[in-house]
Amino acid sequence: MAKHDRYQNRIELLQGTLDLLILQTLQWGPRHGYGISQAIGAHSGDVLRVDTGSLYPALHRLERQGWILAEWKVSDNKQRARFYRLTPAGRKQLLAERSRWEQLSDAIRGVLTRAAGQGEA
Amino acid sequence: MRLPQWRRRQRADLDEEIRSHLAMAVQDRVARGESPDHAARAARREFGNVDLVKETTRDMWGWMSLDRLWQDVRYALRVLRRSPGFTAVALLTLALGIGANTAIFSVINAVVLRPLPFPQPDRLVSVSEMDLRKVTGGGVADSVSYPNFFDWRDRNQVFERLAAFRQSRITLTGAGVPQEVASAVVSADFFDTLGVPPLMGRGFRREEEKTSSHLVVLGEQLWRSSFGADPAIVGRAITVNGRPFTVVGVMPRRFTFPVTFPATQMWITIAEDARTENPGDTPITAQRGATLLEVVGRLRAGVSIRQAQAAMDVIARALGREYPDEDGSRGAVRIVLLLEELVGDTSYQLLVLLVAVGCVLLIACANIANLLLARGVGRTREICVRAALGASGGRLVRQLLTESVVLSIAGAGLGVLLALASIGLLVRLSPVEVRGLDQVTIDGPVILFAAALTVLTALLFGLIPAVHAARPQVVIGLKEGARTTAGSGQHRWRGALIVAETAVGVVLLVGAGLMLRSFDRLLATSPGFSPANVATMRFRLPDTRYSYTKQVRFYEELFPALRGLPGIESAAAVVPLPLSGNHLSLSFEQQGRVIAQSELPSADLGIVSPGYFLTMGIPLVRGRDFTARDDSSAPRVIIVDESFVRRYFPHENPIGQRIRPGLSADEKEPPWREVVGVVGDVRQERLSIAARPTFYIPYPQGMIVSPHLVVHAAGGRAPSEVVETVRKAVAARDPELVVANVRTLDEYVDRSIAGARFNTLLLALFATLGLLLTAVGLYGVTASGVAERTHEIGVRIALGAGAGAVLASVLRRGLVLTAAGLTTGMMMAAMASRLLQATLYNVRPLDPVTYAGVGLVLIAVALFACWIPARRATRVDPIRALRSE
Repeated sequence: MAKHDRYQNRIELLQGTLDLLILQTLQWGPRHGYGISQAIGAHSGDVLRVDTGSLYPALHRLERQGWILAEWKVSDNKQRARFYRLTPAGRKQLLAERSRWEQLSDAIRGVLTRAAGQGEA
Repeated sequence: MRLPQWRRRQRADLDEEIRSHLAMAVQDRVARGESPDHAARAARREFGNVDLVKETTRDMWGWMSLDRLWQDVRYALRVLRRSPGFTAVALLTLALGIGANTAIFSVINAVVLRPLPFPQPDRLVSVSEMDLRKVTGGGVADSVSYPNFFDWRDRNQVFERLAAFRQSRITLTGAGVPQEVASAVVSADFFDTLGVPPLMGRGFRREEEKTSSHLVVLGEQLWRSSFGADPAIVGRAITVNGRPFTVVGVMPRRFTFPVTFPATQMWITIAEDARTENPGDTPITAQRGATLLEVVGRLRAGVSIRQAQAAMDVIARALGREYPDEDGSRGAVRIVLLLEELVGDTSYQLLVLLVAVGCVLLIACANIANLLLARGVGRTREICVRAALGASGGRLVRQLLTESVVLSIAGAGLGVLLALASIGLLVRLSPVEVRGLDQVTIDGPVILFAAALTVLTALLFGLIPAVHAARPQVVIGLKEGARTTAGSGQHRWRGALIVAETAVGVVLLVGAGLMLRSFDRLLATSPGFSPANVATMRFRLPDTRYSYTKQVRFYEELFPALRGLPGIESAAAVVPLPLSGNHLSLSFEQQGRVIAQSELPSADLGIVSPGYFLTMGIPLVRGRDFTARDDSSAPRVIIVDESFVRRYFPHENPIGQRIRPGLSADEKEPPWREVVGVVGDVRQERLSIAARPTFYIPYPQGMIVSPHLVVHAAGGRAPSEVVETVRKAVAARDPELVVANVRTLDEYVDRSIAGARFNTLLLALFATLGLLLTAVGLYGVTASGVAERTHEIGVRIALGAGAGAVLASVLRRGLVLTAAGLTTGMMMAAMASRLLQATLYNVRPLDPVTYAGVGLVLIAVALFACWIPARRATRVDPIRALRSE
């Protein structure tokens, strides 16, 4: 039972962050699902690996929410793929998510540095 | 049966999206120098479970994704088809349960819930007077007199309109064969109060109440059947009770008020009651003591029933002060919604039936839940495989619940068909004549009820097994050769369900048992007369051609003539006929006792011809019967019944005593009458209502308003044989007379108990159904228990346990469950049976015989249900049982 709960927590934690990462990736231009996962991997120095079981549900959810749009195009290496691009609403959402993320990471950094300072004293 | 186009395209899109993802991953890997084979495998591995990704992605398309539902439904249909035995039993159970509920609800819908067919029916009320003298707690609602009605109408500020009516029967001649038509005498605003405009012509005006205007409004049905739908009917003269009346209007077919069976088709004004026989007499419309009207009112907008009640009470109290003799004991009114008044206690009877069928459905649900639980054990492997392949717990519960809903919908479909087939029969067999019963259909509200019931039912029987089955221990379930056994949780649930359904079954059985006992007592009750071989009929002497004395003479000549005819032993007349639904009551004075006018006691009145008691087989206990010599010129005489003697002459010899009922033939003042005889008690109103104190007056010294003829057939002949004889004898004297209402006295007795018989029959039917289902449930649980314990039983037998010990161990578990259910059920029944109190006759709700009987029947049935699988357990072959391990 405990194992089950931990698994659930991981999903939730990933979800909010994953949205931010996807929106951020699309800011530089339309990409397909495979491209998004590659980009996130590359930009994070291969630290973040996106699980396809999370990526595709997230893409379809963001599409439903109207933050991204999808269309079929042919990629550089002649492969038909479903390309996603940001909508104006998505751009606004990206800004909101970013500021929220920054607040959160500032807060966490604050807590961590304070704790570190006290540890040293 | 396919998915919608857009949904299929969306699915194809997702498939292609994932294919292209994989293709690109492979391309990248090959570009990095991997072999195509290796690249394809690695890309696949990296991607993960394709189907799971697809499914979780599809979940994002909508909360209750249509195609997932579709998939579940198709899967459910496949599962149900795979086990036809289970499906058939479950469908049949559900069809019976939901069908019975739908049928009963369709009656409730038509009779109680559907609004009256008048505009703004929530403002239509029935207004009656309270007779505070018959105090048994607040008084008794009674009809209203004309003068009181007129005063109410003039003085009140709370009604937009107030109208009065009384039911009547009219002889219509000159339009085809003479016929008796159900009709009503109504006040001026009658049609306007109800708010229904005539099809043609008009209603009655206020000034047409007073003058003796001869006006009539016809119903559409009568207008078509007897007047050929004559478009120029308005203004035409027709013959009503032998007098010419002018038609002023025709009411549409849907207007049926007052509610009678057959429907009321003629309405005449109260001018009819303003007429008098002899100049100088007081007409009924001016007698404040003659209470025979029913009053309906349309409340002013914004006036509540309570406000109207308060305002009318003030008027009633004022009338009580102004007319202490007549209204002194009537200082209050009762106002209820017209619908409520019309439906009366039928809604209570229907509610009892609805509770009963609800119980049947509960038992059905418990049974199916049990079947599903038992099946869940067999399906552990299947469910474990699905869970291992990645189906989430929630998903499995949804899947299993879908199975229940599919089952429930199919069962409900059959149930509604069953209801459709049975409501016709239900209505035809129903002895109650109440508004709306002729319009019972399966309409929107009924379908809605059935649909709600379907969902509720599916949840009731599906939820526990689904949650239970969706949480198997995967590893155990998948283990090769794992035996399919039920966990202890399963056993607990199944035991609890059996206990619950047995308890509900006991409540049903106790209800039905009490009704049966009550009905048995009713059958054993004597009405006080012997109905065998007596025919009854009725005709009206039109008072245009028959003055009072002429009417008396007509009967005086008719009865002796009838007695002389072949096949007729005796003949007499009475008003009102016992058990015909009418009763007259009259206040009276006793000589030597001075009581204020408004406090006078009242007793039931019968007006009879000589030979009545003989014809009816009512025993003469003391004194003498009336004879032909007790005519209009003879000294006034009266006969009382035994309960009258018990109440008013408890310690005296009643013969020779004198009483004065408020009734006179031709005298100015009601005369004193001498008691000449005492007869046995007769149940007047209903067989289940004890006889009230009654006195009888010979008709030449009282009055006759179209009496019932009672004719005793001679020598054991069927009463129907004498009807023609009477008809001929009457026609020979006056061919215009209509002999109507031909029935045997037995039919009246039968009608009087028909309601009780109908309710008892239905309740017994539902209880039998409930008992059967409970037995099937107990059998199922015991049988599957034995099947699961085959191994253990084999071991026991191998170790030397005798057949008796095995039998006992299986029976014990079944009986423990039964005993638990029985105890719980008895306690529930003891509380619930109080609801039946009002319908029970001579049986207390805690009647020990009923409870003991139910206990015995249940234990016997339970023993039988457990005995079959227990016998099978004793025949377990230990070798085979052990080898099957």
